[in-house]
Amino acid sequence: MQGFAVALTPYNLLWCFIGVFLGTVVGILPGLGPAATIAMLLPLTFQMNPTSAVIMLAGIYYGSKYGGSTTSILLNVPGESASVVTCFDGYQMARQGRAGAALGISAIASFIAGTFGVVGLMLIAPPLAKFALSFSSPEYFALMCLGLAMVVLLAGESMIKALLAMLVGLWIAGMGTDLFTSTSRFTFGHSELLDGVDFVVVAIGVFALGEVLGNMEIREGAQMLPVPKGLRNLLPTWQDLKDCRFAFLNGSVIGFLIGVLPGAGSTIASFISYGIEKAVSRRPEKFGTGVPEGVAAPEGANNAETGGAMVPLLTLGIPGSGTTAILLAAFILWGLRPGPLMIQDNPTLFWGLVASMYVGNVMLLVLNLPLIPLFAQILRLPAYMLYPFIFGISIVGVYSVSGSIFDTWMLALFGLLGYAMRRLEYPSAPLILGFVLGDSMERALRQSLMMSQGDPTILVARPMSATMLFLAVLILLAPLFRKANAWRVKAIVEGS
Amino acid sequence: MEFRPVCLLTAAVVAVLGAGPAAAQFKPTKPIEFVTHTGPGGGGDVFARGIAAAMEKEGLMPVRMQVVNKTGGGGLTAMAYLAEKQGETHTIAVFTGIWFTNPIMRKEAKFTMKDLTPVVRLVLEPAMIAVKNDAPYKSLNEFIDAAKKSPGQLKQSAGSLGSRDWVVRQLLMTNTGANWAYISFPGGGERIAALLGGHVNMMVIEPQEAGEHIRAGNLRVIATVADKRLSAFPDVPTIQEAGFNIPNVPQVRGIVAPPGIPPEAVAYWEDLFARFIKTASWQKYLADNMFQDGYMRSAELSKFGDQFSETTRDILKAGGVKVAR
Repeated sequence: MQGFAVALTPYNLLWCFIGVFLGTVVGILPGLGPAATIAMLLPLTFQMNPTSAVIMLAGIYYGSKYGGSTTSILLNVPGESASVVTCFDGYQMARQGRAGAALGISAIASFIAGTFGVVGLMLIAPPLAKFALSFSSPEYFALMCLGLAMVVLLAGESMIKALLAMLVGLWIAGMGTDLFTSTSRFTFGHSELLDGVDFVVVAIGVFALGEVLGNMEIREGAQMLPVPKGLRNLLPTWQDLKDCRFAFLNGSVIGFLIGVLPGAGSTIASFISYGIEKAVSRRPEKFGTGVPEGVAAPEGANNAETGGAMVPLLTLGIPGSGTTAILLAAFILWGLRPGPLMIQDNPTLFWGLVASMYVGNVMLLVLNLPLIPLFAQILRLPAYMLYPFIFGISIVGVYSVSGSIFDTWMLALFGLLGYAMRRLEYPSAPLILGFVLGDSMERALRQSLMMSQGDPTILVARPMSATMLFLAVLILLAPLFRKANAWRVKAIVEGS
Repeated sequence: MEFRPVCLLTAAVVAVLGAGPAAAQFKPTKPIEFVTHTGPGGGGDVFARGIAAAMEKEGLMPVRMQVVNKTGGGGLTAMAYLAEKQGETHTIAVFTGIWFTNPIMRKEAKFTMKDLTPVVRLVLEPAMIAVKNDAPYKSLNEFIDAAKKSPGQLKQSAGSLGSRDWVVRQLLMTNTGANWAYISFPGGGERIAALLGGHVNMMVIEPQEAGEHIRAGNLRVIATVADKRLSAFPDVPTIQEAGFNIPNVPQVRGIVAPPGIPPEAVAYWEDLFARFIKTASWQKYLADNMFQDGYMRSAELSKFGDQFSETTRDILKAGGVKVAR
C-alpha cells in the first residue's frame, strides 16, 4: 500500500507514463532495444530523484515488450528477439485480415502476464531467488535440451527438413569466439565475426527479408487480405479470448519462472510457452496458420519474464539480460545497491517500483488498444510501398544495433537464405530455435563437464536436470509414438 | 657566414614561441565522437557515458561528446575504426585491457595499440577474491592449501581465457603449484549466481559487485587484487600482503585517439582530463565504483602499454595459449 502512495503521486505517474510510452516506441522500432534506450537516457536521469528515475527506466523495459509484437504481426519483422515466436501465428493472422485481432490479443496477453509477473515479484521474490540459485549449468543444459526438443513441434511437413534447418541454426550459433579457449570458430578471417552473428541480423533477415523476397515473385502483389473497416472488426472476438484462456495462464507462469533464471531469457521463455501451448492444444495442426493462442502464449511469456527478471536483479543484484544489466548499472550510479538487503534498506523504492509496474501495465493496455486501428492501417499500403518500407526499417534496425556496414551485408545474406528456405520449403522456425539455444546449450554442457571433471553423469544425477531431460526425450519421441500408433491402427483396419 | 647560426637560432626561437600558442590553440570545434567497443549498457559504454555526462555537467568542454558504439571482435572493430581515422582530432575512444590483450591472441586483428595514439590512462579497477560465507577457507592461504590437497577439484567461476581473472589464477597457480578448475561464464551475473548457489568455490569479483553480498553475509572476501588495500575493505589484505609474490594485474581504462594526430591535440586532451579527474563528479564516480585513480599522460601510457603487452604475452604463453603476434 505504501508503494501505491509512492507510485500514484502525479510526478511519478508522469514519469511512469513517459517510461512506458518510450518503451512502446522502442519496442516497435526493430533493432533499437530497451537496453540501448536506457543507456542513452541514463545521463539525463541523474538530476531526478532515484525512485522516479527507476520507475521510468523500468517502464521502458517492460513497455518495450508490448511494442515488440507490433512489427512481428504486421510486417513479419521481429522488433525484439523475444518477439520472433509472435511472427509464427501473428503474421499469418495479419495476412488473413485479422491484424487487429492479433494486436489486441497480444496487448491483452501482455497485460495479463505482465501483471502476473508483478504479483509474483511482490509475493514470492526472496524464496524464488533461492530457487534460481539452485539452478546451475547442468540444469541450464537440460532446460536448453527441453527447448530444442520443441523442434518436433515446430516442424512442418518434413521432420528431416526441420532437423536440417535446426542444425544450420546450431552451426551459426557456433560462429565467433569460443568462450572457453578464446579460439575463433568460423570467422573466415573477419574480425567482425569474432563476437558471433547478432540475433537481430538472423531473425530479421530470415523472417522479414525472406518473406518480402518470396512475395515479390508473385506478380499480382501480396496476398494480404484487406483490413476490415470499423473498430469492432479490429478487436479480438470473444471466441478468440476463449481460445486463449490457457495460453494466458501458460505464458504467465512459464515466462515468470524462466525470467527468474539469470541464464535463460525471454526468447527461450517464448519458445517454450509456444511449444507447450501447441503440445496441449486440441488443434495443434492449426499452429503456424494464424491461431490467436499462438500469439497469446509467447507474448504473455515475454512480458511475464520482465517481472521474473526483476527478482534476481532486485534481491540478488544479479542481472539476467543486457537490459537488466544496464538497469543495475543505473541503480549503482544513483548510489542504490540492489541485493539481499534492498527490500529492507529501501522499502520506498522497492514497493514504489512494484506498484508502478501495476500502474504501468494498465497504462500500456490503455495506450496500446487505441493504437491498434492506427497500426493496422499500415497493411492498407500497396505492395510497392510496403515492401521497400519493410526493407528500409530492416536495414535501419540492424544498423542501429551495431553501427556496422558488415552487419547489413550479413542481413542481405540471411535474407537470401530465408528466401531460399522458403522456396525449398524448409521451415525457418527451427533454424531460429537452434540459433537461439545453441550457444547457451553448448556452454552449459561444457561448464557441467568441467564441474564434474568430465563425468557426464552430472547431467542425470541432479533431480531437476534429470526431470527436464526426461521430458525432452518424451517430446522428441512423441512423433514416433504417434506414427507407430498410426501404423497399428492401419494394420488393424487392414487386418479386419 | 657568421649569421647562419643566428638565423637558425632565430628560427628555433620562433618555432618554440610558435608552438606555445599553437598548443593552446587546439580546441574542438564540433561534437566529439567518443567511441566505445561495447554495446549500450556494457562496461565501456557506461564508462564513456559517465565521462560524457560529467564533462557536460562540469562545463569543461566547448562541445558535446557523442558516444558511438562500435561493437564486435572484442574491441577489434573499434580499434580498426579508429586506426582508419588517421589524423582525425575530433574522435577519441575508451580503451580497456582487452585492447592490448586481444590483438596478441587474434590473428584476425589488423591493428594493435601501437597503431593508435595513447592519450591518457584514467582508472585502475581493483578486484577481490571472494568465496561463499560458509566456505571453510578463511584466507587465500587456506584456499590454496585446499586446492593443493585435491588438485583440479576446486572451481573458479570466471570470464574468458586471457581475461584478468584468468591471469590472476594463472599467476597464483604457477607461484604455488596448486591447481583448480576454471569455469567460464559469459556474464558477471551468472558468475556470481554460480558462486552463491555453491556450484563453484571461488571467484575474482569486482568490489562493487561483491559489496552487498558481503554486507548481507553471503560472501566473504579473502584477498584484494590491487596495489593497496581498498578503503571500503581495510581488513582484507592484498595478494602480496597475503604472502604471494606475484605481479599485480590491473584492469585499466583510459583514452586513445586515432594515429597521426598533432601533438597539440594530444596536449589538449591530456590537460582536459587532468582537470577532469579533479572534479567532484569524477571523484564521486570513482568512489561509487570503488575504482582507483590511475591518471597517466600520453608518454607514460605508451611505456605502460608496451610493458603491459609484454607481461600479458608471457603469461598467455606460459598458460598454453597460442599467441598470434
